[in-house]
Parts: sequence; C-alpha cells; structure tokens
Amino acid sequence: MPLEDLIPQLTDTAYSLKDVEKAFLSRGGTAVKALDGVTFEGPEGMITCIVGPTGSGKTTVLRIVSGLERADRGTATINGKDPATLVRKIGYLTQRHTLFPWMRVCENIALPLEVKGVPPEDARSQVAGICARLGLAGSGDLYPHELSGGMQQRAALGRLLASESWYWLMDEPFTALDERTRHQLQHLLIDLVRERKLSVLFVTHSIDEAVYLADRVVVLSAGPGRVAESFDNLLARPRNRLSQEYGQVMERIRTRIESVLGEEE
Amino acid sequence: MTDRNDQRGTWADRPVGKILLGSAFPALLVVAWWLGIRSGTAVIPSFSAVIGVLAHPLEIPPDLYSRSLAFSLMMTLIRLALGFGLGVATAVPLGFLAGKSRVVDRLFYPLVQIARPINPVVLLPLVTVLFGLSSLASVAFGPVDAWKYDVADQVQLAMVFILWWGAFFPVFLSTVHGVRSVRTSYLETMRLLGATDVQILRRVVLPHSLPEIAHGMRIAMGMCWLVLIAAEIFPGTRSGIGYMLCTACKTSDYQYTFAAMIVIGITGLLIDVAFARFERNAGHWQALER
Ligand SMILES: Nc1ncnc2c1ncn2[C@@H]1O[C@H](COP(=O)(O)OP(=O)(O)O)[C@@H](O)[C@H]1O
Ligand SMILES: [Mg+2]
Repeated sequence: MPLEDLIPQLTDTAYSLKDVEKAFLSRGGTAVKALDGVTFEGPEGMITCIVGPTGSGKTTVLRIVSGLERADRGTATINGKDPATLVRKIGYLTQRHTLFPWMRVCENIALPLEVKGVPPEDARSQVAGICARLGLAGSGDLYPHELSGGMQQRAALGRLLASESWYWLMDEPFTALDERTRHQLQHLLIDLVRERKLSVLFVTHSIDEAVYLADRVVVLSAGPGRVAESFDNLLARPRNRLSQEYGQVMERIRTRIESVLGEEE
Repeated sequence: MTDRNDQRGTWADRPVGKILLGSAFPALLVVAWWLGIRSGTAVIPSFSAVIGVLAHPLEIPPDLYSRSLAFSLMMTLIRLALGFGLGVATAVPLGFLAGKSRVVDRLFYPLVQIARPINPVVLLPLVTVLFGLSSLASVAFGPVDAWKYDVADQVQLAMVFILWWGAFFPVFLSTVHGVRSVRTSYLETMRLLGATDVQILRRVVLPHSLPEIAHGMRIAMGMCWLVLIAAEIFPGTRSGIGYMLCTACKTSDYQYTFAAMIVIGITGLLIDVAFARFERNAGHWQALER
C-alpha cells in the first residue's frame, strides 16, 4: 500500500477499548452477551466509524464509552481517562429524541451554556454564531417539531458545538434522513471535525457512510459484538463516491460483514 | 403540521360552531323549564324571577337567611382556591419525590391506594366532628375573636380538608406517573452536559411531566367542585353558593335555587375551560412528538 507511506501516521489515541465485555439481563433473567471482548482504538482529531449489523452491540459500545453504561469486564477510556470523569467533554448524539421538544431551537442550542452558567447575553451571541454556521439562522424561535429532520439534526449538532465537547459519540445520527440531506450533513460533520479538532466515534450500519466519513473503520461481528476488522481508511478528501478506490473500500467492508454474518448462520 | 391545520378547518372547531354545538342541550333544558312553567307547578319559578336574581347579584335576598348571590359565589371560590391550592401544593412535591425515589413511593403507595377511592363527601360528618366549627379565622385569631373576621370565619377547616382530599390524589398520581415517564435519553443528555439535579428538574422533568400534572389538576378541580357544593349543603354552613341553593329550597324561594344552579353550572364550565386551556398549553410540544 504505497498510499500509507505518503500520509503521516495517524496521531494520538482518543478512544481506547480493551477486551470490553457486556451482558444484559433478559426479561427471563438469563444474561445475554452484547459485547464479547471488544478491542480497538480511535485516533484523536479524526473520525472512527463503527460498522456492523443490527444487534452487533454498536450502541452498547457508544454507551460504555460515554460512561452512561459500565463494562462488565475490560476498560474503555477517552484520552487515557475514565469517561465518567469527563463531564461536559463528551457530546452524545442519537438518531431520535435528541432535542428537547418543549424548548425552542435556540434554547436547545443554548442549553449547555445555560447549564454552565454562561450569562444569557453571551449565550445569545454564541448561539447566533452557531446558528449562522449551521444554516439555522431564522429557525431559532421555532420548536423542534416545526423543523425538518435534517434541520433538527443540525440543531442537535449546534448543541454539541455550544457544549464545547471534543469527543463526539454519534449513534446513527443521519440514518433517518433522505440521501441528499444525509450527504450534506456528512460534509458538514467533516468540516466541523477539521475546524474544532474533534475526535468522533461514529456508529452506522451504512457502509457508504462509513467509507465517506471514516479515517478508521471498525467492523463489528454479528452479536455478541467482537471486532472483526479494523483498518485505516486513507482515501483522499474530498472523497469521490464514484471513484474506483471508494468502491474498493466499500467492497472490503461488505465482504467482511457478509463473512461474519455467514459465520453466524 | 398540515394535519392539524386541516382539522382546525372543520366548522365544529371554529368558535361559532363550538358555541352552537355546546348550547344545544342547555337550550333543551330551557325549553323543559318553559314547559315546566306552563304546567303551573309552584316548584318552578318564572324566567323573569330568576333573571331578576341573576341581574342583581349584590342584592341581599329579602326573605332568605343568606348573603347576596355574589358574596355566596365569592365564599365558594375562596374555599375552592384554598383547598384545591393546598392539594396541588402538597401533591406535586410529594409526587416528584415518589416518582424519583423508590423509598418514598413504597412508603406512600398503599396509603394512597387505600385512601384514594374514599369519596371526600363521605368523610364530611367525621371531619366535621374532628375539626368542629374551626375556621381559618379561629385558627389565626383565636375562637373568641373569630366572628370579627367575616370571610375568614366562613372558611371552615373541615371543608378545606375534604377539598384537599379531593385534589390531592388525582394530582399526586398524575405527577408520579408524569415524572416516571420522562424519557431516559433526555435525562442522560442532561447528565452528560453536567447539569445539576435542580437544573434537570426545572428544565426537563417539570416541563416533561407538566401536561400530565395539568391533566390531573383538571380532574381534581372537577372533583373539588362537586365535593364543595355538596359540602356547603351540609349543616353548619352559613354561606356559599351551595348553601344558598339549599336554603332557598327549604323556604320555597325557588328563584334563588334556580339562579344558584345556573351560577354553579356556568362557573363549573368556565373553570373547566380554563383548566383545559392550561392542559393544552402545557402540552403544546407533544402534538407531533412520537
Ligand atoms: N438495556 C438493554 N437491556 C437488554 N438488552 C440490551 C440492552 N441494550 C442492548 N441490549 C442487547 O444487546 C445487543 C446489542 O444491542 P445494541 O448495542 O443496541 O446493538 P446495535 O446498536 O448494534 O443494533 C442486542 O442483542 C440487544 O438486544
Ligand atoms: Mg443501535
């Protein structure tokens, strides 16, 4: 692979999971294993995409990395630290129920500032800046349900920006959107990562989305989750979906997922 | 969004339509009343006699041991506000505690389920024995001087207590349920933002459960209104719209009975309209939340 030599080594590690295991108690009381020794690293200032079939434990990985859930065994750290100690540094974004529906869009975006105790005047001007950056100017006074799905996720990104968190954990945030909007938001996310030096852990079951976004791809096997493959995606940006190389990376992931699904049968 | 606009367009949802539909059955009642007058029974007063009472709400009824219509209504509303207000003021905080803490919930659950179905009117005789004739004034200024405080002396503790009883349980239960049904992901979002418990309560738990609390309040208010009118008929009362209704019956001054019934009906309606509006406003954001 001659390309790898031309590109500087991926830098420091932001996310580090070692032998993470997690089981949930089913309704009947038996333990169901969701993660079976997950190990991978996500580089700092880059996008790491976790791809895997439904039920492979992608959401569980994110919840453990966020500190919302504890691993039964193994460790998950962000920048070498326990996530639970990184309050306000972690931004979490899901597909649904992200914005608070009883608050206007601008209140939603301003919430992290409000929680921190930033004076309302300062908060307002910051929110105005964020809205302008995200193409939300003029929508601030609306309620979330008055926005399209794409605009809602833009507002949710706005709240992450206002929180000044560096570690963004994103659980299929663009899955429910139409293709055009999804591509716009993917593009926006890449820009934001550059501007803000964000480290993103991005869960998706769309292979295309992974190839387009990821600097590193982590493929999970069908549940209980285990890392089937992890590799750096070094395609030059802006990435061209129609290029041959793009298709090759897609093929690589697809083959891997099909093989892990085949194992399962 | 379009769905909602379409619905607003039907004639039944426009103000004129609402008034027309809503007054259909009251109009039938008026017709029945008119037929009653024509039948010549003495129990049914003429339109003009009743309108005469309603048109002069400040006039003291000449041969009736009762205060004016307006004063009677005021007394009723003061009792209602106090009893209902106390019910809400105790039920909401306790509901929040029980919704959040298993210990508090387990502590209250059996008691609440035992006490809830007891109709407070049934308790009135017992409560009257317990509280006697003590009123707000006799508590505040002592039983000897109580009579000097006309209004406060007629707010009997027994009545306040049963109103509290009527309001507490619906509001408590709806608060507990409202607090429990707050979406976990919303709480987690706040936790990741580093919000304090107070911030979470004020910005998430309260607004999320408010529609349900408002619904409980509306039910409670209906209950209180029912209970209060019945309680005012009870011996020992000297004022109130229920008292006026009952006293006028005893002395066959049926125009006052009818006037009081009309006032009770319309006030009850207005109160419910106000609470329905409150409930709708509290839940405005739920319209398209799924
Ligand atoms: N809170 C929970 N309780 C019980 N089982 C759970 C819970 N969360 C996840 N699981 C189970 O763990 C497995 C992985 O789930 P999840 O992480 O949501 O996968 P994915 O996001 O890849 O679809 C699934 O079998 C799921 O049923
Ligand atoms: Mg998932």
